[in-house]
Formats: sequence, structure tokens, C-alpha cells
Amino acid sequence: MNFEAIIGLEIHVEMKTKTKMFSSAPIRFKAEPNTNITYLDLAYPGSLPRLNKQGVINAIRVSHALHMSIDDTLYFDRKNYFYADLPKGYQITQQDRPIGKNGYLEIEVNDQKKKIGIERLHMEEDTAMQHHYSDYTLLDYNRVGIPLVEIVSLPEIRTGEEARKYVEKIKEIVTYLDVSDGKMENGSLRCDVNVSIRPFGSDKFGTKVEIKNLNSTANIEAAIDYEILRQSSLLIKGQEIAQETRRFDEAKKETVLMRVKTDAVDYKYFSEGNIPPVHLSQEFIRHAIETSNELYDQKLERFLNDYKLNDVDAKILLSSKELADYYDEAAKNTKLYQPLANFVISEVLGYLNKNNISIGEFNVKPNNISTLVEILNNKEINSKQGKDIFQKMIETNKDPLTLKNEMGATLITDKDKIRADVLEIISQNPTLPTDYKNGKTRALGFVMGLLMKKNRGKVEPNLANEIIKEELLK
Amino acid sequence: MNNYLNLSIVELHNLLLKGEVKPSTLVLEAIEKCKNDEFNALEALNFDEALKKAYELDKKEVPSDNYFFGIPYIAKDNLSTKGLETTGGSNILKGYVPSFDATVISILNSLDAIMVAKSTLDELAMGGSGRSGHKGLQYNPFDKTKMHLIGGSSSGSAIVTAASYVPFALGSDTGDSIRKPASYGGLVGYKPTYGLISRFGLFPFSVSLDHIGYFTRSVEDAAILFDALNKYDENDYTSSLKERTKVCPLDEKEVKKVAVISEVISSIKDEKILNSFKNYVQELENRGVKVDYVNVDSNLLKAIYPSYIIISSAEATSNNANLDGVKFGNRKEGKTYQEVMFNTRNEGFGELIKRRFILGSYALMKENQEEVYLKAKRVRHAIVDTFNKILDEYDAFIAPAAPSVARKVNEDSDALDDTYLIADNYLAIGNFGGYPSITIPLGLKEGLPFGLSITSKIFADKKCFEVAKLSEDIIGLKGLSTSNIDEFIKEGK
Repeated sequence: MNFEAIIGLEIHVEMKTKTKMFSSAPIRFKAEPNTNITYLDLAYPGSLPRLNKQGVINAIRVSHALHMSIDDTLYFDRKNYFYADLPKGYQITQQDRPIGKNGYLEIEVNDQKKKIGIERLHMEEDTAMQHHYSDYTLLDYNRVGIPLVEIVSLPEIRTGEEARKYVEKIKEIVTYLDVSDGKMENGSLRCDVNVSIRPFGSDKFGTKVEIKNLNSTANIEAAIDYEILRQSSLLIKGQEIAQETRRFDEAKKETVLMRVKTDAVDYKYFSEGNIPPVHLSQEFIRHAIETSNELYDQKLERFLNDYKLNDVDAKILLSSKELADYYDEAAKNTKLYQPLANFVISEVLGYLNKNNISIGEFNVKPNNISTLVEILNNKEINSKQGKDIFQKMIETNKDPLTLKNEMGATLITDKDKIRADVLEIISQNPTLPTDYKNGKTRALGFVMGLLMKKNRGKVEPNLANEIIKEELLK
Repeated sequence: MNNYLNLSIVELHNLLLKGEVKPSTLVLEAIEKCKNDEFNALEALNFDEALKKAYELDKKEVPSDNYFFGIPYIAKDNLSTKGLETTGGSNILKGYVPSFDATVISILNSLDAIMVAKSTLDELAMGGSGRSGHKGLQYNPFDKTKMHLIGGSSSGSAIVTAASYVPFALGSDTGDSIRKPASYGGLVGYKPTYGLISRFGLFPFSVSLDHIGYFTRSVEDAAILFDALNKYDENDYTSSLKERTKVCPLDEKEVKKVAVISEVISSIKDEKILNSFKNYVQELENRGVKVDYVNVDSNLLKAIYPSYIIISSAEATSNNANLDGVKFGNRKEGKTYQEVMFNTRNEGFGELIKRRFILGSYALMKENQEEVYLKAKRVRHAIVDTFNKILDEYDAFIAPAAPSVARKVNEDSDALDDTYLIADNYLAIGNFGGYPSITIPLGLKEGLPFGLSITSKIFADKKCFEVAKLSEDIIGLKGLSTSNIDEFIKEGK
């Protein structure tokens, strides 16, 4: 029998804000445990929530990028349960009225575009980080209250590949909007997957299995592909699929049972009385959208149209938002867009790859790269000198013009001096003009080689070419 | 022993201004009275800090525009006080020392009022009898034989004001937790419009019904205290954004028209109370105030108590879910986090609290929520709609604050009769609608006080005070306390 997989994804994205969603505690990456906290984060009696405006703006921006309709009134609810990492005994979330509804995103599979529907996007808050040891657990409340958006897809994903591309697209959107780090490895983007299968043509849904602890997009794809196979073989054997939660074992590349689901937990949702409904004006929503960062697709269009880059180069530069931003910044300083792209891709990216560092850790200022590209393009230096200056820029953080002077990296453009050298070379090889006139064009290259050797490569090549020709033809 | 603290805030302020008393004189008197507390009113004591501050203030000039300079007061123990144990009247918070002050405490600190102690309450402000807190029951100070309750949940704050340990005390009111004990204690008890006094630092019972308020012995004191505490607070997202205006000076001549809810009056059986109310209404009319008897569906009124219990218990389960022994409070150990939570809550909460939590959880369960919790909320809306219409027409609605004087310590009410369902519980209308509502003394019966309740529409706090001021003039029990009740009785009150 042939089966069709029905896959739904729930993605939690940590929002980048200065302070927490409902408290004034700062959010600082890599801070000492339990230092980014205030009264509400420990749920001290009498502490009260406030609403983080930037958190709302970020949620609006993501909703808009996902083509969702945006609610003009914010309602918050409480999700009640007892857990060690949940200080208040409830999580503030949006159960009844999510800020974003009915959206979609587009992925490309086998050169075909496919729309994946998105049911809802809602705002909520993160829980404490637990550090488990053999006989005790430590709690770090720094993570408590960090703004989250949860994005729930419709069950329209059919394969592991589609799921991976869907998550990659979400990651691309939140990082390009600069509302999140979007790093699965850090947990700033987390994904739970529901998989069920059914015979092709059936309109009933099979039993859903949930997969948790997926820490990379590759694992999402692998886990789903494995799970589809596992469920198919169970059904073929006539066995039932149990409603359960599984996790992905990275070493075995298999999903393994975590727990069998009994009746769903009753979270006793009800409205959060400490945050009355908040009306959002159309102007506020519009402003949040208009002032948001460019998405990948918008940036690509601009790189192709405004910078006139070729498709391959544009996509390489857009392979990370940070690199694209770096190029954008450098491009403010020059009109030599394609040479700049060439330099960034071959030299800068080459250096990053060789040293296994990210553009964020690269200390050369973008405008120094554009200056370097300008002087290379003006033939003030040759490519060998360009490479030397680039290396020095990385080491010393100095600007290329200063380095050019310090390193004596200039080209000889004095015509009389060049001509004297050329004449000297010809006088030592008197047959060259005749050879050249007889069509042996190698003669020109020969003179050029000796000229460069004599001057350690520092002769302006176009000028030299011209003078050699003149002298050989005399 | 001195008895300056039997005076009002305004009178004390004038003595301080004239230099006839010093802040330390007042604080020493308050401490002395707290030390001799016979009614089981107190929690943590703040004597050393209070005296230190009083001696500092002794050296300063008394500012003529600050009524609260050097005035001692007591705060209910569900208000967070930095560095001073705050238990909410519950064993589960034994030993909990907050790291921040409630906004009302900060405001009073900045006005140089001096907090001398915390007052006890029904456990986590639930119960309303003054019997359920971890300190046991609180006695009504008007009965030296200790046969009567003061009522709750702000039981301790009512005692310390009635027995003039201090001229005012802070409380909280979720159903009638200030206004009911005010009735039993012959006090002025005020609950403002929801959102005018910040709830930041108030241990939550039911956030949509909780209000911070207070006890005084005069309407004027209540009004000046309102003007001090009526401030926007960015820490409370429900804090009203309305521009704040002072209610003082009050103008009783502004009172034109009040409503009496006939069904509340007809559910009261006590002849003495009915008679006092009738005489008072007569005098109101004599002074040119129009008094209309208005009918409200008695089924709607009988639904107040059940819907109040459902809504408040549902919210209470969630609001107190933070008390799990993991982060603070009186932790009871266990092998797993579940055991810690279970043991802490099982040993920490009293029986009444557990019953309310079970009720609240039941109301919120998925299969019950529509029929129980959401229905109760719809009833609340229906009640508020009804009273909004009445309050749009009248300056206030008035009725006795309770159908009886204080209950005996071992007396239980009959939860099925109309007197209980209506007259004993209608004050929750004030919390349902967030209305400004005040209790003032109405009369005395065999040495025990009973009160009058006045409720106005939201943001009409000034009007509520004006009706109260006029009524206080008519009734003539201004300043009533345990130390002067005999004089009032001699006057024939």
C-alpha cells in the first residue's frame, strides 16, 4: 500500500529584545546564571506583568512576512500547569486570539514552488533553563520570560525535505528581519513535529506521533523520513500506531520512544486579568511593518536590480544575512558593485572559510574593503599587492591607503623610466623588433616579463604594454 | 497611656504642625498599643525601623501640605514590604521576606508615614470571617469578652483602626474584605475605582476583583488618603491612564439623588438595622436629597455569591500556583520536584484554601469551563450592566453594609437564605464593576457597630466620598473607636 504523510510543525522562536516580554529584566546573551531576573521572573507574590512593545512589533513583523492577518487587539491568556521550570505556575500566552492568523510561506521543492499554510502565530514567554545532574537539577531563570512566538503550520507538509525547507525559510525570515538569532543549536529556534500517515486518497487522518528535541534542520528531515518509514512498516504489518512522543537519536538516526501520550493535559486556559486587551492602531501596525528589515527575497531583488550582480554571486552574498549586510555596507562606498562582489566572495569569504570564522568575527571594516577594491580597479596597485594589503588589513586593522604608502605598494607610471628600461631590454635582445613585426607576438610578452622582473612587478601593466608595442614597432 | 491615636489623621497633623506632639510620641504610642494587642491582630512588627524613622522626623520641620508626615500606620500582611516578613496569613509563606515594596507602601514611605507593623488576615485574603489565617481567629475589639468576630479578610487592619493602635490601616478588598469588617468594626472602609490605586505588591487573590483600600475613622481621612494613593503606576498594567484629580475638598451639597435597592432592604431582618437605615434615609430626604427605591431581579442578586465564588476561586488557583516551594517560601522537601510542590502545598495551605482551589480548578476544567466559569463571568457582566444603568441615574446606591452586627466566634451563617445570599454578599457588586464603594458606621446595637454602604459609578470616587461625608454628618458617628464608644452610647446613638 502507498502512504501519504501528514506533517505539521510547531516552531518556537525566541525574539531578540532588550528586555523580557512581561518584565523589565534585561536579556543578555551568555550572562551569569540568574542575573537577568526581576521580581516577576521568580514569580514573587505581588509582582505584575507589563507588555514589551518591541516584542509586539517583532511579532507583527513576522506575521506580516508570513502573509498573516494581524489582529488589531491583543488578548493574553494563562496556560496553567505545574512544572519546575515554570515559576508562576502558568505561562502567559495567546490561546483564543493569536496576533497572526491564516498565513503561508513558499518553499521550493524539485524546482517547484509549494505554498505551506500557517494556521497561527502567537506571542508567549519562555521558561527557565534546567541543568540536570545525576541527583539534582539547577534552574537558570535568565531564560524565563524571554519573548517567544509560536508558529503553527497547517498539516500541509508531506515529506522530510519539505519540512526542512519550511524550517529553513522560517529561520531565514526571522534572521533577515533581525527579530531573532534563529539558531536551532542554541535553542533560539525550536521545532516540534507531528507526523501521521494515511493511505493515498484517504481523507481521514492517522494517529499523530510527536517528535521532540530536534536540534538541526538536517535532523528534522532525517527524523521525519525515518518516522514515515517506521509508521508505514507498522501499518503494512497490520500493527497499530500508538499516540506517543518520540525523540530523535542522532547517533542511530532513528526516532525513539519518550512517552506514550495518555489523555491530553488540561491546561485550564483562561484570560490573563493583569493585561487587559490592548488595542493596536492601524498606524502602529503599519509603522512596525514599514520599518522592518528587508526579507531575503526583497534583498535578492535589490542585489540583482540595483547592484546588477549576477544571480550566482547575489545568492552567495545572501547566504547569510550578516554577509549580505557586510556587502551592503561596503557598497555604500563604491559604485564598483561587481568587482566588490568578486573581492568579497573570493578574498573575504575565502579568508573566513580558511580560518573557520564568521563574518561577525571579521574585523576589517566594510568601507576599507571598498577602498581596496577601488585602488585595485584604478590599477594603482596590482593584484599581488592587493592581496598583501588585504592580509595586512586583517593583521593591523589599518586602512588600505595607509598600508599602501607604508608598504611602498605603488606602480611605476613614469613613462620615461619605463621606456628607458624597455630600450635597455631590446638593446640586449636586438632581434625582438623584427620577430614582433614578423608576427611573433611572444616577443611582447618576453619584454614584459623582463621589465616586470627588473622592477619587481611594480610597473603599471597597461602603460608598459603600450610603450613596449611602440618600441618594438619602431 | 497617651491616646493621641484616637484622633483623625487631620487632627494629628494639626497637633504635629503646632508642635504639641512629635512623630516619636505617636510611634511610641502605636508600639505600646501593638505590644498590648489582645485581639490577635498582628503579624511582623516593624518597631525598630519605625522608631528610627520617627526620631529622624522629630528633627525635621513638619510640612503643612503633607498630612502623612510622622503618622503611624499598619499594613495588611498581603502587601509586599521590603525586608519585612510578609506571609499573606498563610503558613506556606512563613519566613518569606520580600525584596520589594508594594507601590502603596512606597508612596506612604515617600510621604514620611511610618509603618509600625503588619496586620493579620484570612489566609491569602480568602474566607471573609477573620478565622482562616495561620494566626487563628481575630476578635472584635468592641466586645471585651471576645465573643465576637471582626470579620475579614482584612481582620487585623480593622482591629488596629477600631482600637486606635493607628489612625489608618491598609487592606485589600476582593469581595468585601475591607467594607464588611468596616461594618463590624464601626469604621470607614474604602475601596476605590479599579485601576486607580496600584495593585503592584498586593499578593493576588483574584486579579480582576482585587482592590487595595484602607480603614480610617473619618470620611475626610479616607478622602485625603485617596488623594495620596490615587496615582498611575507603570508597574501595574491595569493602572488607569486617566488623568488624576483630587477629590478634596468634598462638597456635600453636590449630592442630589441616591438609589436604594429594595431587594437588599427586604432581605434584611434585623429591626434595629432597618430602623436606623430608615431614619437615616428620612434625614437625607429632609436635607433635599432625592431617594428612590429601585427594583432589581432578586435572582440576579442571589447569583452574586455563587458567581463571585466561582470567578475568585478560579483565578485564585492560578494566582497562587507560584507558591510551590521551588523559589521561595516555606519549602517542604521531597525527592522530586513534584514531591516538593505537593508537600509544600499540602502542608502549607489550610483547609479552606484547598477547598477553594478544588472548586476553582473544577470551574476551569475544559469540560466544565463553559457551564461554570464562563457562565459565572456572564452573570458578572449581567450584574454590572444592571448596576451601570442604575449608577448612571444616581449619585450612589445605598444600603446597610451587612444584615447584622458582627457574628459570634462560633456562629455559622445559613448559606441558603435570602439574607445571606443577598444582604450578606451584595457588596461584591463593587468588585464586579470596579466601582468606588465605602462603608461608614450607621449605628450601634448592644455595643456593637453596624455600617452603611455607599457605591458610585466608576471614576466617581469624589461623588462616593461626598455622599459618605453627608451621611457621616447625618449619622453622627464620626471618629467612633473602642475608646470613645461609651460617649456615643451616652449620646443615644
